[in-house]
This record gives sequence, C-alpha cells and structure tokens, in this order.
Amino acid sequence: MLTLTRMDETALAHTMVETDSKPRSGDDPGKRRVSREIRETVGRVTVDDPRMVCRNVNVYYGDKQAIKNVSVDIGRNEVLAMIGPSGCGKSTFIRCLNRMNDTIDGCRVTGEIILDGTNIYDKSVDVVPLRAQVGMVFQKPNPFPKSIYENVAYGPRIHGLARNKAELDECVETSLRKAGLWEEVKDRLDHPGTGLSGGQQQRLCIARTIAVNPEVILMDEPCSALDPIATSVIEDLIDELRIQYSICIVTHSMQQAARVSQRTAYFHLGDLIEVGPTGRIFTNPSHQLTQDYITGRFG
Amino acid sequence: MKKAVIFSMVTALVMATVAAVQAQQRDGISIVGSSTVYPFATVVAEKFGKAGTFKAPKIESTGTGGGFKLFCGGVGIQHPDISNASRAIKASEFEACRKNGVTDIVEVKIGYDGIVVANSKKTPALKLTSKDIFLALAKEVPDPKGGENLVANPYKTWKDVNASLPNVKIEVLGPPPTSGTRDAFIELAMEPGALKFEPLKKLSKEDAKKFTKLFSSIREDGAYIEAGENDNLIVQKLGANPNALGIFGFSFLDQNTDKIQGSFVDGNQPTFENIASGKYPLSRPLFFYVKKAHVGVIPGIKEYLAEFTSEKAWGKDGYLSEKGLIPMPDAERKQVAENVKATKAMTEVK
Amino acid sequence: MNNTLSPPAASPPRRTIEIVNRSLKRRYRAERRFRFYGLLAIMLSVLFLALLFASIVGKGYSAFWQTSIRLAIFFDPEVIKKDTLVNADYAALVRESLFKRFPQVEERQDKRQLTSMLSSGSVYRLRDMVLQDPDLVGKTAEVWLPADDDMDMLIKGHFRRDLPESERRVSDKQIAWIERLEAEGRLERRFNTMFLTAGDSREPELAGIWGAVSGSFFTLVITLVLSFPIGVAAAVYLEEFAKKNRWTDLIEVNINNLAAVPSIVFGLLGLAVFLNFFGLPRSAPLVGGLVLTLMTLPTIIIASRSALTAVPPSIREAALGVGASKMQMVVHHVLPLALPGMLTGTIIGMARALGESAPLLMIGMVAFIVDIPKGFTDSATVLPVQIYLWADSPERAFVERTSAAIMVLLAFLVVMNAGAIILRKKFERRW
Repeated sequence: MLTLTRMDETALAHTMVETDSKPRSGDDPGKRRVSREIRETVGRVTVDDPRMVCRNVNVYYGDKQAIKNVSVDIGRNEVLAMIGPSGCGKSTFIRCLNRMNDTIDGCRVTGEIILDGTNIYDKSVDVVPLRAQVGMVFQKPNPFPKSIYENVAYGPRIHGLARNKAELDECVETSLRKAGLWEEVKDRLDHPGTGLSGGQQQRLCIARTIAVNPEVILMDEPCSALDPIATSVIEDLIDELRIQYSICIVTHSMQQAARVSQRTAYFHLGDLIEVGPTGRIFTNPSHQLTQDYITGRFG
Repeated sequence: MKKAVIFSMVTALVMATVAAVQAQQRDGISIVGSSTVYPFATVVAEKFGKAGTFKAPKIESTGTGGGFKLFCGGVGIQHPDISNASRAIKASEFEACRKNGVTDIVEVKIGYDGIVVANSKKTPALKLTSKDIFLALAKEVPDPKGGENLVANPYKTWKDVNASLPNVKIEVLGPPPTSGTRDAFIELAMEPGALKFEPLKKLSKEDAKKFTKLFSSIREDGAYIEAGENDNLIVQKLGANPNALGIFGFSFLDQNTDKIQGSFVDGNQPTFENIASGKYPLSRPLFFYVKKAHVGVIPGIKEYLAEFTSEKAWGKDGYLSEKGLIPMPDAERKQVAENVKATKAMTEVK
Repeated sequence: MNNTLSPPAASPPRRTIEIVNRSLKRRYRAERRFRFYGLLAIMLSVLFLALLFASIVGKGYSAFWQTSIRLAIFFDPEVIKKDTLVNADYAALVRESLFKRFPQVEERQDKRQLTSMLSSGSVYRLRDMVLQDPDLVGKTAEVWLPADDDMDMLIKGHFRRDLPESERRVSDKQIAWIERLEAEGRLERRFNTMFLTAGDSREPELAGIWGAVSGSFFTLVITLVLSFPIGVAAAVYLEEFAKKNRWTDLIEVNINNLAAVPSIVFGLLGLAVFLNFFGLPRSAPLVGGLVLTLMTLPTIIIASRSALTAVPPSIREAALGVGASKMQMVVHHVLPLALPGMLTGTIIGMARALGESAPLLMIGMVAFIVDIPKGFTDSATVLPVQIYLWADSPERAFVERTSAAIMVLLAFLVVMNAGAIILRKKFERRW
C-alpha cells in the first residue's frame, strides 16, 4: 500500500489537468474544453480501490514510441473501456497489462504497472502466474484446435488447479456456464472447438480464460469479428462477469463502450487523453479531442 | 517432458551402439580395389561364402589406386585385408605401405584381362595394327607429309589412317583418364604404336619423358569420346552407332558376342584362346595383394586364397574363365599357388 | 503510346469502357496462351514420366520370372554322408540326374555344356533341402532348379536363336536340349522369389535385392531416429526460443547452404569423422545412417521451420494468454499443428536419403556383399548402390535385374511420398 500512495503522488504531480475546477454547464456547446494541442490526461485517473495501477507507462517498438506516459487505474468489479481511433495505442496498452508484449521483438516498456503491490515489469516477476492472474480474450476468436472440453480444461490442467477428473469436469462446466455456452455445447464437449460459430468460439475463449479463475480479464476488441446478435450476447456476459472480475476492454465501438463499461479511457496517438465515468465521457467530455471523436469528427 | 525422455534415451542408445561397435571384432574378410578385378573376386567370394564355413568377404570397388590407399592405411581390423589391382603395385605405394607398418605383402597374380577394341556386328570387323590405333587416337602424330615434325592429328577417317581400312569417320568410345583400363590401353596399344615410327623411337631413347607424354595424350577434338566408367553403356552405344568403336574389358565382349565383335589387332582377334596364348597384344595381368599380418587374425583369409588359387576357380576350365578371366599358363599358376600357400611376402617392387 | 494510336485532335474523347472492351480480346488471348503453355508443360512431363516408367518396367518386369528346370534328383546316400551334410558334392547329384535324362550325351565337352545349363546355385538349393529334411537322403524327388542365366535369357527371348552358333552364348546342342525339356514340361518360367529374398550374387539367376533392401532399411532407421528429433529440436529452438540476431542469421544462412551442398561432401566428412576419428566400421548401416543424417538434417530443419512459422500467432497468444509457459505453448499447441509439415519434410528428406549413393561410396557401402545384413553394424549396401553395381556388371541378365531393382526402389519412393501425403491429410487441422 505504501508504494501505491507514493505512486498516486507522482501521478498527481505531473499528469492531471483538473477539470473539476473549470466551469461546467451541461451540454452547453460553447463550453470551454481543453484544447486539442494539450496531451496531458484529463479527468481522474485514480479510483479509490484499484485492482491494477499503471503509472507513467511508455511503450516503444524499436525507436517508435507507441504509448506515451500513460497513467490509469483499473478498479475492482468495474469495466474499463478503452476507445480511440485506429493506431491510438489502446491495444498496445492493454497488452502491457499481462505482458503479452513480451513476445514481440524490440518492444520495450517503461513505467510501472502495479498488481498486488508489485510492479509486474519487475525482474523477479514470472509471466506465467501473472497471466494466470490477468487473463486475456483476443480480437479474433482463437480456440485451440482441440475439443471444446480440452479448450476449457487446458488452463486448469497446466496450472494444476484441479486435483482429479471430477474437479476438472466441474471446473469446465462452471466456466462454460459462466460464459453462457453450457447449454449449447454440453452434449458435444468432445467436438472440436473450431467447429463452433464465431460468437460461440469467442464465448469458448472467455470460458477458457475464466476457467483459470483470473482476477482481471483483458478483452481486446472481443466482438469485432462477430455479428450483432453474438455481440449482444457477449456484452451481456461482460456485464455479468463484472460481479466477479475486473475487466478491461478495448473496443472500436463507442456504443459498445457506452453499453458495457463504467469508466472509459480515450486514447489518441499514444496519449491517454481523457478518463472518466462512461456517462460523462459520452455526454460531456472535457477534452476537445474526445469531443471530436465521440461526435464523429474523426476516427 | 516425454519428448525429452525419449530424446535422451535415443541418444544413450546411439552412444551405447557406438561403444559396442568399437569394441567388436571383424569376422569377415574385407577386400578393396580395382573395378576390373571386382567381377572375378566377387565370384570367388560368393562361392567361398556359400560353402558355409566362413562369411562371404565384402568387396569394395574403389579402383586400384584407391584400394592401395586404404590397404596401406595400416594393420588392424579397420583396414582392409586384401587389395585387388589391375596393375602391379607401384614402388611409391609399396613404400607408403611400409611407412604405415604394412611390411609383409603377398602378391598374387591371378590371370590376364584383355582390352578389346570392338564395333557393332552390323559392320565388318576392322583389322587394325597398333600403328593404326596410335595414328587414329594420338593428339599429335608425325607429319604425314614426311619429316620429323609433330602435327596435331589430321586424320578424320580410318581410310586416312590406313588405306586398307573403310572410309568411315574415326569415332571411338573409351574410358576416361581416371580408369585403369585407359592406362592399360595406352601402355599396351599406344606406346607400341608410337614406337613403330623411327623418329619417335629415337625420341624415346633421348627424352623418355617427352615420349611418354606424346603417346599418352589422347586426341581431344571429338574423335575420342569419353564414355564414363560404365562399360555396359559403351556396349549399348555401339549397338546404336555401327560406325563407332569402343574400348573396354574382354568380359563385356564375351557376354555380348551376339551384338558386337572385337577388332583384329596386329592380326589377331580378341578371343579367349588368343589372349591366353599371348597372340592378342592388348592384355594385362591382374593381381591382388594380401596383408600378411592379417592372415590368421581375420578368419578365412587362408581359405579364401586357397579357393582363389584352386584349379576349379582360376584353372583353364574354372569358373573364373567363364566370367572372362584369362588364365595364366599352367606352370605360372602352379608357381603362384605355391607362393600363396607359403604366404611368401614380396621383398621389393619389380 | 496513346498518341501514336489515336491523335488527340482527331478522335473524340473515349469512354473507359470502350478502351477496356478493345483490350479485352487481347487479354483473354494472353490467358488462353498461358493456359495452353501450362497444359503443354504438364503433358510433356507426364509423357516423359510415362516413357521412363515404360522403359524401366518394359525392361525389368521379366526379372520377376525365372526359368526353372524340373529334375528328378536322387539323393544318393553314397554322396551325402551323415557327417558331410553341408559339404557333400551336391553338384554330382545334379550331374547324375542330367546324364540320366540325356543318356546319349557322352563327350566330356558336351557333358560340360549340359551341366552348365543349370545354375551353380542348384547346389545350394539341394543342400538347403537336405539340411531341412535329412530324411530325404536315399529318396528321389522332383525338384525345380534355377536355370543358368544364359538359358534364362534364351527362353525370355533376349538371345536370338537364328544367329550363327559362334555368335551366341548358347550352343545349338543346348538349344536342342532346352527345347526337349520344354516339350516334356520340365522347363517353366516361375515367379522369381529369389529376386525378392536373396542377397547379392554374381550369378544373375541367384541375385536378389533383399540384402540391399535390408541395408537401406537399417540405414534409414538410423537416419530417421537421429535426424527427426535433432532436426525438429533445432528448428524449434531457432524458431521459438533463439533471439533474432546476427548469430541466428548466420546459422540460418549456413543451414540453407548445407542443404545445397553436394552429397559426396557429406561422405567425405563421414569418412574423416566417423571412420577415421571415431573408428566406426566401414560399410556399416550405422555409419551410412549417420552420414545421411548429416545430409537430411538441413532439409528437415528448413521444412520444420517453415511448418512452425505457418502456425498462426493467434494460437500462440491463446496459449500464452491462459498462462502457458513458452515450452508448454510449443509442445502442447505449436508442435502438434506443425507436425504434418515437419513429417512431410522428414519423409521427403528420407526419400532423398533412400535414393542416395554418392556419400556412401566414401564409407565403403559400395561393395559386393552376399550376406543379408542382420543389424546396424553388419556390412551392408543400399538399393541405389545395388542398382549401380548391377548396371556395371557384364552379364546380360543383369540388365533386366537392374531395371527390376529400379522398379523396387521407385515403389519404395512412391510409398514413402504417398505416406507423406496421407500423414499430412490425417494430421492436418484447420484453425
């Protein structure tokens, strides 16, 4: 907790342009917003009881800087949505949260991402338990080319979460139930996971992720390859999962962010421009760029 | 994990085999050497092996020179016991053997091999002399206009070479320079042919080196075609091209008498009898050499020698003669067989 | 270009569709031409393949039949004594039987001709019969014995009977005897089991390919057991674990170069390292396998690496995302997906190794070996070497045997390549 406090101070010291001090007048079109040139984060990046704390995170691909000095907290039992135009770095950022970027050659991360009081980029941290703790669902449904059962059972098996077959069966069932897939697949658990429809595949991937019982779930545009019905099923699922997990979701759809999240972060060309409660971001953003984006001026 | 276990097991297995192999003794005779002797040695080896007492010797066809290199590598099971040769061992090879501890070598002369100049039966047989052969195939010949000058070979047809020969293009298929057959051919046909010319005879006495270079240089303007080491191939090509001549070992003529015929050389055709009696000039002795230090160590060497030098193998009606080996005269066979029986090592290279 | 075709002043502005329509014909013509060339190329290669097969099969099929002569053999207890079962003069039995059948042959020369009609291998056939069943001694049995290769060639029509006697290897008398035996039903072309079960021999009628097939088998077992795990491990390490830097680039370039090195070089290397340094025996399938391993490794590594790169990154991310370690990701997910490609590469490498003879020359596997190898350290030769040795033999009957051996080698190659396809189809998974 001590580290956390220190982090809060540093963060406050150099990021925020407090918007609370500025005059506020609902939907007033003439309202004064932070001008486009300013790149410091607007809005409150901290939460009272954070699950993960990111401070001054920079990501470089070789010489190119993809994320510039981003600080943001992820709260417990909330869905944090990350939006922004293509190439804004939102995917890069979410992949920092469970060190998926480690697999990319030439990718370098500086700054601190704190989970349970430890910087996950510390030399002593092992990525294997970290990823068991921070699960991830990817943009394209990517079930293993194995049976449905094996897909879900894989995580618990490699981590040794189930002591026997009965426990494993139970874990598979609960995970599939949580992912809302159980009823559809319970009779064909031995069928290949790749034979399911796109939406089912994505829910299978979610089931696979939650089978490990992580604490944070990262979702990188989970619905971008899905049709509207499947999307809505997943969105309902996300809402339910919030009760148990902290969720961080990257989406290219502002409407989806509005539907599923409690807080929203707007990224622009590697900068975190604005963070705030979802309702306020979409109705009354404080930064001109956010306003431009949500009103469809670009993106 | 499982993979790693399997992998280490395999590695261990291989290591174990390697160790086991190195400790093992050799139980069969190992023979290397000339590809000309190979067809004869293999027949003996097979009979010897099938008789049942010993394993059939393993025979590698490495060429005479390559055989001596292996043979002279040293004494011990990793070195061959016998080396076949289509010529006598050279002094340099004998010396190399000595240096590596191979001091006692038994020389066994086994018979003769004829080299034939043959053509298709579709055309009549040629009556050649060694002089004709030299004029047709040498790179440089004495000026046909007279004088002592040497000129690049101007002859295009056999009629140019000798008016009694047919008017067909000179086209000879023969072995490449790496072949022992070619060495023998040059020695047996080209050299005597060259010596028929007075100026060259004089040259041979004055400058032996230059003379050797002269008669061993075969023309490269397309009249002589190097046909590779495979004699069967030459036989087949002769069938397709009735005007061409081919140079190869007697056994290939013997097996294909329905398709090809041997040319007369100096008045005699290459028949079994003519070669055996020495009337046909293009014949050479064949040998094999035995490492005395291995006799009694590797099982069966003595018995193999006895089989090879028995009358039923190398005799006049022996099975080797059926394969085309020309036997030596009776007295010489007897002499060699006695030497072999006593495993009398050679003391120097003649 | 356009200016020469249509002066801008003269022609009115044209619509794109007109220009497109005008060029359409030319474009389709080009396509038809290309398709025709492609078809031509394929037809040409099929034609040459058919020619190759036709010439080999045409020459070689007759080797699977062998002329045999049935004789009534009296297993004379005078000749076969209890203590000389192995060394008895079985040739005498054959001679006796023949002389009884042709009593009018009296001259020594003729008798020699008569006995030479039967293969010298008859002796071993009779010996094996007696060894198997000693009770035969004292009885008479009708036995099919292989005819000499010259008789076989005559029966198969490779020797012409109308040539003058001096120009063929079979005399008039022999032809007369052969015709008599044929008329009596004592001469038959029977399936040549010898060819498939015997080792090498200098008598064509006794020569078989089983020795070479066994040698190839032992050699390839060593090659497979070594090159597959090593090749896959190397590929996995290079592709999944090694950092991409100058060293790995250098290694990659070298592996690609090694794949193109003439195979004889590996033979020289094998001679220097395995024979001269480690002191392994000459002519052994063990050493042959080691040399061929060196030769096939680059092929397998390259094929395995491309199979690994073909595994979609999403599968790797999925595995890493649930917390698999890198090793688990590779072993559980990447390898199974890459396996079909790796197996295909391996089998192609193996097929190449099966057809290779040059590197084996240096380590003494180009040799005449009668005994069928029983293990990895017995002296052995391999199929392509056997073909080479037979092709170089003077006896006419080896011509058809050479082609028959090529047929066997081709059959193995076809089976292996078909196996590669089946394996790939079987393990191929969609993702």
